[in-house]
Amino acid sequence: MRKIALNLLLAALLPVLSAPLSATAADDQLQMKIEQLSKEVELLKGQVKKVDDKSLGRWLTIGGDYRFRVDSLRGETVPYSNAIGTMQNLVGGFTVGPNAVAGLTTGANATIANPSAAAFIMQGKSGTLFTPAQFDTILGKYMPSAMYNGFITNIMPALGGMTPAQVTGYLQANALTAQQSSILSTLTNKGIMNTVMSMMTPANQTAFASMPPAYQQAAMVMAMQGFLGAPSGNLASKPAEKPRNETLYTNKFGLDLNAKATQNVTAHAKLNMYKTFGSQSDSAVNSGYFADRVGVFDGTIGHVPSEGLLNVDRAFATWSNILDQPLWFSVGRRPSTNGAPSNLRMNTERPGNGGTPALLVDYAFDGMTVGYAPDIEALPGAYTKLCYGRGFDSGIQTSGNSIKDTDMLGLAIIPVDTDPLRIWLQWNRGFEIFDFPVMNNTLFGNTAPAVNLGSIDWYGAGAMTTIKRFGPGTLNFFADFGLSVTHPNNNVSANAGFQGLMSGEFFAQDFAPKDRTGWATYAGVRYDLPSKTRIGFEFNHGSKYWITFAPSADDIWTSKVGTRGNVYEPYIIQELDLKPISSHLSKVFFKIGYQYYDFDYTGSNNWVGAPVKISSIQQSDLLLMAPMKKAYDIYATFEVKF
Amino acid sequence: MKKTISLIMFVCTVALLTFSFTLNASAEELKMVGTVTKIELAADGNSAIALLKDTKTGVEVTILVSDELTLDKFKDKRIVVDDEIRCKYDNESGKNVSKIFKKTAGC
Repeated sequence: MRKIALNLLLAALLPVLSAPLSATAADDQLQMKIEQLSKEVELLKGQVKKVDDKSLGRWLTIGGDYRFRVDSLRGETVPYSNAIGTMQNLVGGFTVGPNAVAGLTTGANATIANPSAAAFIMQGKSGTLFTPAQFDTILGKYMPSAMYNGFITNIMPALGGMTPAQVTGYLQANALTAQQSSILSTLTNKGIMNTVMSMMTPANQTAFASMPPAYQQAAMVMAMQGFLGAPSGNLASKPAEKPRNETLYTNKFGLDLNAKATQNVTAHAKLNMYKTFGSQSDSAVNSGYFADRVGVFDGTIGHVPSEGLLNVDRAFATWSNILDQPLWFSVGRRPSTNGAPSNLRMNTERPGNGGTPALLVDYAFDGMTVGYAPDIEALPGAYTKLCYGRGFDSGIQTSGNSIKDTDMLGLAIIPVDTDPLRIWLQWNRGFEIFDFPVMNNTLFGNTAPAVNLGSIDWYGAGAMTTIKRFGPGTLNFFADFGLSVTHPNNNVSANAGFQGLMSGEFFAQDFAPKDRTGWATYAGVRYDLPSKTRIGFEFNHGSKYWITFAPSADDIWTSKVGTRGNVYEPYIIQELDLKPISSHLSKVFFKIGYQYYDFDYTGSNNWVGAPVKISSIQQSDLLLMAPMKKAYDIYATFEVKF
Repeated sequence: MKKTISLIMFVCTVALLTFSFTLNASAEELKMVGTVTKIELAADGNSAIALLKDTKTGVEVTILVSDELTLDKFKDKRIVVDDEIRCKYDNESGKNVSKIFKKTAGC
């Protein structure tokens, strides 16, 4: 009985006694589960973080812009003679017709065996205006032969029958223009006149040498008038014109990619498409009035309307925070377009550390940069950078290819870069400047660098400011000053009719070219109203010898900052009050503007040849491009930044 | 003229370098490069708190920003979350007060 009672007691106590033990075990299990769960949560957190860190939005930024633009273009040219047309007329006369010399042997003493017209054609190259071999034939054979014939059959007999008074009268009535005199001087310097003399019989040479100076001068004038005078029939004279394109529609699209590849290293790309409505070529805008609008070339693709392809406008990688210092290195196709202060009229953000002053450079360079942005509280935003760009690679040097690479070196110092004040100082040097860039289907056919003409130094200094709460809105204004100094070597471009770096005219070579200094100023203001209306006005002036390197500027006629004269541009921008979705800075706006160009000198944006005052151009003056006196562009855009 | 501009540029370069080395040598402020993880503008718009995550250590540092130029960039969204910032700040009374707050340079 007692045993039974004891067993019952034990049975009753066992659960009671074991309860704490089982409770402790449950706590342990719970604790283990909690710890396990915590670990899993941490693991999941880590995985989420990893996924988050690697999510596209963390390392890749996509943006871009779209623009529709309509331009109404008008211009005014002055009378001149088209140099290419005149050359073609001359060559036509040399090869076909009563005065042709092609295929004939000419000369009574020294003789010239002239290539036939077919042989001359065979010296040519498809798509090229004149090859060097053709130039040699024209200058060394056809021209002296034709001059010799002129001397023998016309000039000498005519002079033989003239009295001194008649000669004086002839000279007064048929005075050569400044350009014709230079051409005569060029032909003499190149030995062509000596060649002509050597072709005469010794008797004729003696007769010519014994002529009074006035008669000799009259002979030369007759020769020049016979070649390039108004009655010669060779001049491709062009009257004053008013070229116009009442509606030019263009589509521009850009896609920006910015990838954070690793800590401190990013890669950027910008793809651009810019085309004319109804065209897959650049012919609608590159009509040959200005050197930067003759054809599209490497650094202007995507900045001048041409085709519907997305071209790589920018592609570069940047390594920042080098050695934990505010030092960076960047290489690739550079952001050297649309620099300050063009962001105001383009209604874009300030270019930051990128870009170069728009007055000096607007061109998509392939190159590299080393920059340093010291932490100086007194100079907020200060930075400096050394930039290098390759403008042209000449390829493998051979005995048949002696042209050198064209390079650009620049130093930028920005002592302050804040909203209220941004100051910039810039020096650039272009080395081994070429005559023509690589372009296809231009006014001059297919072109390529044929000769290095020298180097150019550029200096610039400017400032821009933003004053908030200026009246009801914000006031922005800027002023920029630039200086260009050309350093010609003694090379000239045969393709440009023996013009050199800012020297000579067509077939009128400057045999002692000088350094030429040009200057330009660029100023503007924009007032931003609370209604998101922005009203702006810009003015720029370039002197006679001013040359910039801004062929990618966002102007249709020609890069306005390269104008040798004045340009006025008022504009108004109206942003739509719409909530940004794609990025914080996305926006939509309309813009209407007007550009008025008033040219003082020829050759805006052209470093080949000496500028000529527009008002002094004569009908017989040979020019490669039609001289524009005034140009107008009324434009409107619809733009989306995303 | 070109000589004048060259001279100005030279003087500016020397000044920039001198300034930077002198100030770097004498200052004891804290510096960091970090990614913005949070920006909180004060209601009156006169200051802001920015959280920067050090790109090297991953440590988050709270920075008090009160200069108008940087505040304008916050307001205009020119500096936003995920931007990489180079910051120089003082620790004053337990608060990290920004002296320089700018996007890391490079382009």
